[in-house]
Amino acid sequence: MMRTIEVLLVIIIITAAFIISSFFAVLPQPREVSPLNLRRLALTTLQTLDRDYDLSQIVFKPINDPSWSELQIALAATLPPNVIYNLTVYEVSSDGAILYSPIKSISNAESLGIKTEASSYLVASSNVTFNVVPEKIGEQGGGGTLYILNCSDANGWWITGYTAQSLAQDLYNLLSPYFQITIMIQNTAQLAQVLNGTALQNEVLQNAVIINTFGEAVPIPSGYYASLGIGYDATGSYARYCHTLGQRIQQYNWTWISIVGYPFYYVSNTDLFSDQQNTWGIYGMKHVGPAGLNAFLRGINGEAYVKDDQWITLGGGGNPKYIMAQLSSTAQYFSNYYGIYPSPYQTATRAVPSWIQSRYNLNATAYIFDPVDLGGKTWIAGTTFVHYNATGHINGKFIPVGLTRTPDIRITALAILSYYTPRLYRSEYTAYGTSRFVVLQLGLVGGI
Amino acid sequence: MAGSTIDHLVSVVAFLAAILIFISLFNQILQTAALYQRHRSLAMKCSDLLDNMLLSPGIPSNWGQTNVTPTGFGLQDPEFTQYRLSAFSLMRLLSSVGAPVYYPKTNQWYSNITVGFGNFLLTSFSEAINYSTASRLLGINGTYGFQLTITPIVTLSISEIKSKSPLRIAVNVAGRGFPLANAAVSYCFLTVDLTGGEGSFPSYKTTYGTVYTDEKGSTLLEFSEITKEDTSYALIAYAQLSGLIGVGYHQRVSSTGQYVVPFVDNIAEGRVIIAHSYDVQYFGPPVAEVAYNATFVLLAEDFTLREIPLGADKIGKVNYGEGQPYKNVTIPTHNPGILVITYRKSAVEGGVIMMPWGISAMAFPVVFGEDPSGKEWVATDIRQVIVNDIAYQATLALWSLEGYQVIR
Repeated sequence: MMRTIEVLLVIIIITAAFIISSFFAVLPQPREVSPLNLRRLALTTLQTLDRDYDLSQIVFKPINDPSWSELQIALAATLPPNVIYNLTVYEVSSDGAILYSPIKSISNAESLGIKTEASSYLVASSNVTFNVVPEKIGEQGGGGTLYILNCSDANGWWITGYTAQSLAQDLYNLLSPYFQITIMIQNTAQLAQVLNGTALQNEVLQNAVIINTFGEAVPIPSGYYASLGIGYDATGSYARYCHTLGQRIQQYNWTWISIVGYPFYYVSNTDLFSDQQNTWGIYGMKHVGPAGLNAFLRGINGEAYVKDDQWITLGGGGNPKYIMAQLSSTAQYFSNYYGIYPSPYQTATRAVPSWIQSRYNLNATAYIFDPVDLGGKTWIAGTTFVHYNATGHINGKFIPVGLTRTPDIRITALAILSYYTPRLYRSEYTAYGTSRFVVLQLGLVGGI
Repeated sequence: MAGSTIDHLVSVVAFLAAILIFISLFNQILQTAALYQRHRSLAMKCSDLLDNMLLSPGIPSNWGQTNVTPTGFGLQDPEFTQYRLSAFSLMRLLSSVGAPVYYPKTNQWYSNITVGFGNFLLTSFSEAINYSTASRLLGINGTYGFQLTITPIVTLSISEIKSKSPLRIAVNVAGRGFPLANAAVSYCFLTVDLTGGEGSFPSYKTTYGTVYTDEKGSTLLEFSEITKEDTSYALIAYAQLSGLIGVGYHQRVSSTGQYVVPFVDNIAEGRVIIAHSYDVQYFGPPVAEVAYNATFVLLAEDFTLREIPLGADKIGKVNYGEGQPYKNVTIPTHNPGILVITYRKSAVEGGVIMMPWGISAMAFPVVFGEDPSGKEWVATDIRQVIVNDIAYQATLALWSLEGYQVIR
């Protein structure tokens, strides 16, 4: 009898355990098992209504404006019939005790039930202009001069579809806010003046940035810079001029940017080479070949001139033809920061090999594209190569973009800004009356 | 002794019976909870997968405008962020609803989206992305089945009230759950002139206008210039209200037996084949040659249609049977628009055919994937999306392929 009583006691204990555990094991409501993602639905509904900034305009209108009823009709038409909503617009204030004060509410039900989801959307008034002031490069130190080659007496190559002058103007518009002074070098005579160390507009020459908009060609001044031993060598090769340019880059710690193709592949002066063409029918241009880039690199590294015709980039010399370059994570960050959005994938047919770093005392930094290993070498496009002298000081920078034609000057702009990283000072977004906060709360018919 | 044995027996039996009952009860609770959890997990997967499809342009990002098979599946318009989809990526999805059309002269099957007579989108199977490819690219091949439905939010129902003198057309504009009152309806009215073109080719005239819907979302259009019942015409209307835009269309033709059928042959090159309808419907003689005049129109910001030149191929004649080759027309842009083809069978019989270039131009719906009916448990999720300014709703239905109780 005792055993039976014990078993009865056990049964009572197990029953109690079952009842207690059942009490805690609360199963979700059937609707919660496979719910609609109402939060996402709310967000995408707000984005749809603001497709053409209609929502941004309506929420700033007086509360008795007919546009509000149009908004309600549009909202009702957008959502499925079984979805109930409440859209509330708040004024965002920064000076008072209340940060968000409700202005107007639109709803199609008295209550949204127990379970709802909401998304918020901050809109700015179209009447307000938000100002962004960039920091000027060179503000904190020397430099801050941007030279853009816009020489009227030179021709470009591999800038198909553009002229050097149109590219120069676009670059001016894009980059001049970031520099202390931007100077368009209008002819090769002015270029000679700058190479001689003479300022054109009382600008600082040291640490300047020079953008060559002529693609694979580089403007050459006549006279001194086109003379034997400065412009061309004993064999008649104008690679000598490229070597001189490299020396000037080192001397003034300039940054030289080649926007597309093989750098220094031609020299151009329409007066000097009026009867010569680049073998593709463009007159005023003389072929230099791969020797130009090699001579330039020797010049920047302080080495004596040697004519070296070895092709070192992609697309020749036994190297692969091209690589697909992808924007680096750093470049993507700066792309968002400066609002410059080139295509994230680009074809590089003239990227330089990584070995130029050890050979010419260069250090690749501010990678715009991730390096790519192909054909036993590592290829780098759109990156700033900083030259260090024997004492470890920077003297000269070189940005060979190395992409195929047609040039995308946004890459050039991004490369420069990624290296110098000027800050952007944005105006205050929470100024009174300029922002409104829209909250769309959704529930399902049925109340649960 | 016997009493003690009986006590033992009764207690053991009672104990075992109680244990079995309680194990069964606990097991039931655990099973239900596990099932709930699995259904919940499927719903989460559905939401994530829908976002994956809608917030990525795929690889390459412009695959919708090329002939390549993507290596990553995504429908986002590469030129935008957020939930904006590419009208051309959607055009390349193999439709699940329309019966595929076989065209013997190219020996090809075509994915079929047809919205009433004269509104076709027939895309070559060689260009279209099929369900198994998409499933594989999404990484759910063999684990989940899905159906993606992209439907326009705003629908314009257009019907003819009076056939002539004047022609009256009713336009009803409605959203998902409500009529669109006070919506601006911009329309383009094309009347086909069967004898107006060069030689025996038809031409058309266009009239534009804007009206507003009443509180029921309805409006009435009148065209006094239509005085004959056999005059062919087409109406394309755009309704707009607070950022929502919808498209509707309606045609009346005098020849429904013999007409032209456009097939999208090459999306990258914009090449569209123009075929005789008998080659598709396999009718026999008597057969008549059909002359056509093709025009490509883009929707401008003011909701007027802007014509894009198509070159010398815009006019031609097609016929049925062997020895009667099809014709081509090349659309020179990858901006969404409408290919309008007026055709003429005889001096009194003809009509107009329209084909969207990019599904949004005529707010065509897209249904892609398997049919979810009959599946054990189907999770669904919804997003509002924009396809080239037209408001759409994207719905994904997802189910597990891993047997009973949804997933493990």
